[in-house]
Amino acid sequence: MDKSKIIVTGARSNNLKNIDVEIPHKSLTVVTGLSGSGKSSLAFDTIYAEGQRRYIETFSAYARNFLGNLERPDVDRITGLSPVISIEQKTTNRNPRSTVGTVTEVYDYLRLLFARAGEAYSYLSGQKMVKFTEEQIINLIINDYEGQKIYVLAPLVRNRKGHYKELFESIRRKGYINVRVDGELREVKPGMKLDRYRNHDIEVVIEKLVVNEKYRHRLTESVALAMKQGEGIMMILSMPEETIPGRPEPGVLRHYSKRLMCPETGISYRDPAPHNFSFNSPQGFCPKCKGLGYISAVDEDKVLPDRTLSVRKGAIAPLGPFKNTLIFRQITALLNKYDYTLDTPIADMTNDVVDELLNGSDDRIKVQITGINSEADAVFMEYEGVVKYVRSLQQQTDLSAAEQKWADQFAVTSWHRWIFRTSMTGPVTWSRV
Amino acid sequence: MDIQDLYDWTCNVEPRLSERQRTIANEILKEIRTRLKFMLEVGLDYLSLNRPAESLSGGEEQRIRLATQIGSKLVNVLYILDEPSIGLHQRDNVRLIESLKELRDGGNTVLVVEHDRDMMLSADWVIDLGPRAGRKGGEVVFQGTVPELLSTDTLTAGYLNGKLDTYEGVLSERREGNGKSIVLRGCRGNNLKGIDVEFPLGKLICVTGVSGSGKSTLVNETLQPILSQRFYRSLKEPLAYDSIEGVEFIDKIVDVDQSPIGRSPRSNPATYTGVFSDIRQLFVELPESKIRAYKPGRFSFNVSGGRCEACGGNGYKTIEMNFLPDVMVPCEVCRGKRYNRETLEVRYKGKSIADVLDMTINMAVEFFENVPTILNKIKVLQDVGLGYLKLGQPSTTISGGESQRVKLATELAKRDTGHTLYILDEPTTGLHFEDIRVLMGVLNRLVEKGNTVIVIEHNLDVIKQADWIIDIGPEGGRGGGMLVAQGTPEQVAASGKGYTSRFLAEELSRN
Repeated sequence: MDKSKIIVTGARSNNLKNIDVEIPHKSLTVVTGLSGSGKSSLAFDTIYAEGQRRYIETFSAYARNFLGNLERPDVDRITGLSPVISIEQKTTNRNPRSTVGTVTEVYDYLRLLFARAGEAYSYLSGQKMVKFTEEQIINLIINDYEGQKIYVLAPLVRNRKGHYKELFESIRRKGYINVRVDGELREVKPGMKLDRYRNHDIEVVIEKLVVNEKYRHRLTESVALAMKQGEGIMMILSMPEETIPGRPEPGVLRHYSKRLMCPETGISYRDPAPHNFSFNSPQGFCPKCKGLGYISAVDEDKVLPDRTLSVRKGAIAPLGPFKNTLIFRQITALLNKYDYTLDTPIADMTNDVVDELLNGSDDRIKVQITGINSEADAVFMEYEGVVKYVRSLQQQTDLSAAEQKWADQFAVTSWHRWIFRTSMTGPVTWSRV
Repeated sequence: MDIQDLYDWTCNVEPRLSERQRTIANEILKEIRTRLKFMLEVGLDYLSLNRPAESLSGGEEQRIRLATQIGSKLVNVLYILDEPSIGLHQRDNVRLIESLKELRDGGNTVLVVEHDRDMMLSADWVIDLGPRAGRKGGEVVFQGTVPELLSTDTLTAGYLNGKLDTYEGVLSERREGNGKSIVLRGCRGNNLKGIDVEFPLGKLICVTGVSGSGKSTLVNETLQPILSQRFYRSLKEPLAYDSIEGVEFIDKIVDVDQSPIGRSPRSNPATYTGVFSDIRQLFVELPESKIRAYKPGRFSFNVSGGRCEACGGNGYKTIEMNFLPDVMVPCEVCRGKRYNRETLEVRYKGKSIADVLDMTINMAVEFFENVPTILNKIKVLQDVGLGYLKLGQPSTTISGGESQRVKLATELAKRDTGHTLYILDEPTTGLHFEDIRVLMGVLNRLVEKGNTVIVIEHNLDVIKQADWIIDIGPEGGRGGGMLVAQGTPEQVAASGKGYTSRFLAEELSRN
């Protein structure tokens, strides 16, 4: 057997007429001919198909079950075939999440690079984020607060609503005496609770002490405890009465963390992982567009193209002129509430009413429904608004192409940039020098 | 950031890193650099990483995959490529051939299905199939080395050594046009640098330039949306421009792009061109149908009545494999024929409706030669070089270039107004010299009738036949977006500006 060539004997796929072809190994071979002369039948349906089939034959029968049986190409014999890789043009990937970066896998490496070798900067203060060990934190505290009286705090609640009755109870049981609630130091009392409808910050006071090298042991324990209670974050508050020049201002909080943290504002992130940089991961993508980079919204000017018209004459473009349908009944009721009628031009209405017309209202309005297959002649119902009506149509998946196009014409697609976001804090920009 | 910039950045970033970062980043950067380098080598420097894959042309996507493959450094592999030169300017084509040779020199066999002259001439071995398409093809006309090929008298060899050419008549005769023109001023979309462009009407206009130079931005993203808004109240917004003049001289615009004709397996060339309705009507009028009182719906595979109900007229069944991709198997009831037995019993000239769908267009042209309504519509499909497609071929298996020609054929079957503007994006995709000759014949006929045709093209066989050339460039990406040259092919070739003029001058001197 000649090992320097691929020899195809008796190929008959599609229109091929029992042909014999030789292809020298390690050569650049061009197959040419008119469209439809059988080039693809030879290259893809014969040589590639056979190569692929032989490869799949090497799998176990069980695995082949899942791959589907590849048909044997109509050819007598192919010898000297090496493993085949086909690089076709046809794109099967029509997913908007697939980009040049993901296809080439360069993106995966870039994500890794940013996660492992990147430096984080705070999105609030623009400062470089830092990360300490407990040992370093203790040294920093001793250095900065030498001789000062400080509170060691562990944050428990950050800007969340609730009365936190149970939390205070458990703090009390653990033996802590003081907490700092919304910046104010308070004693923990049995049955203590907060305004449940407001956002609160709660820190527990782990320790009150004067910073001194000889209390290092005590400080070490407090820091360890604070880190445990605060899940990696702790704060130091110096006593307000003393001011020492060159030292941190009294009464000002300083944050320390074992995690990445902005020293000024105290926002802290988990260690960046590659998925934080992926626009396909909930850990990384912009929550609004879900990493697609564009959002679709309803354009009010397209819904109300001519404001001199009245509703009856078809001012609301998606609905057209008055018809005897539920949404028009709702609009009638809504307009009546404000002493307008269907014949009032949009331009004569107050902005509030137009807004309600478009975006709906939570109030229930009394809608006349006589004649719409019902025995009652009026019901109280909420009006959802034209915008929501168009949107809900737009998002229905079983629309025909024409209906889809109709709904889309009232929409604007606006691009917006990806912002990355970690699961615990707001949007974050990771950057790199 | 385009890939060129990113590559430069990865090369320059290292000295700015700390010792720790450098240790971590070293391997990653090396990997990124090799990947990017291969992309640069295949001429993709103007892409950016966040460019959605769906917006890439078939050629670009193929080259991305090629870049990944060259990077894998395997040996003894047989690579099969399907027309990698599509969408490439001659300059980029040279780079592509270099990277294929590199793949070969790495110990691999490279098999390319290709029509490009330079690619053929660089090959070590050529296999020429033919002599014609479809039933008249499928034979090996020639196999051997390039010098051997040139000494034969096959169609391909004829075009290669200049005995045959893709034009009819005298090349240097350029049409005068009708003296009117559309003028676009201050185009600034994407990389366009505020250019003013004149499109003389009644001519075959060719817009040229290297990949990424801004050709598509000018024509598909600026001119076409402006006109579509004007004529069809289209909603697509054109990119930034200052003003447009001369719109009144045309009354219709037809955009023939490479987007798929349908993504459903139920769409096919017959349904797209509308010829399927005529074929169904023909079947309805057969005596056998009349006896059975069959209506046109009986012969549709989309409504119940005549279709195979086991597969719903799909011809195959999709079996869900849970965690694996779905598998399609031919329907066991109709054996892939899509219709039920009763419907298939109605035959015209011995063929059932399923047999007709299974015919190639070439076969159908012979089969329907006595049915003028049907013949007219399928004849144009044959005219644009699609004779080898099956009437019932699902549009999911039709390439971009083929889709474009199906659309072109559909438009050609309609009556033109004589003031129509046709826009075509790379119509020669996948065409052999002989097919190009046929296609150019069709386009020339349109222009003869007073219409204007704007073609975005890299193929010199087309460029040299244009009446007017607009060359955008000189480079791709940021280095492009300027009007390099415009005029007749002779004027552009003589201007000596840009890459196109150089290749065009060579091409013209060959004739």
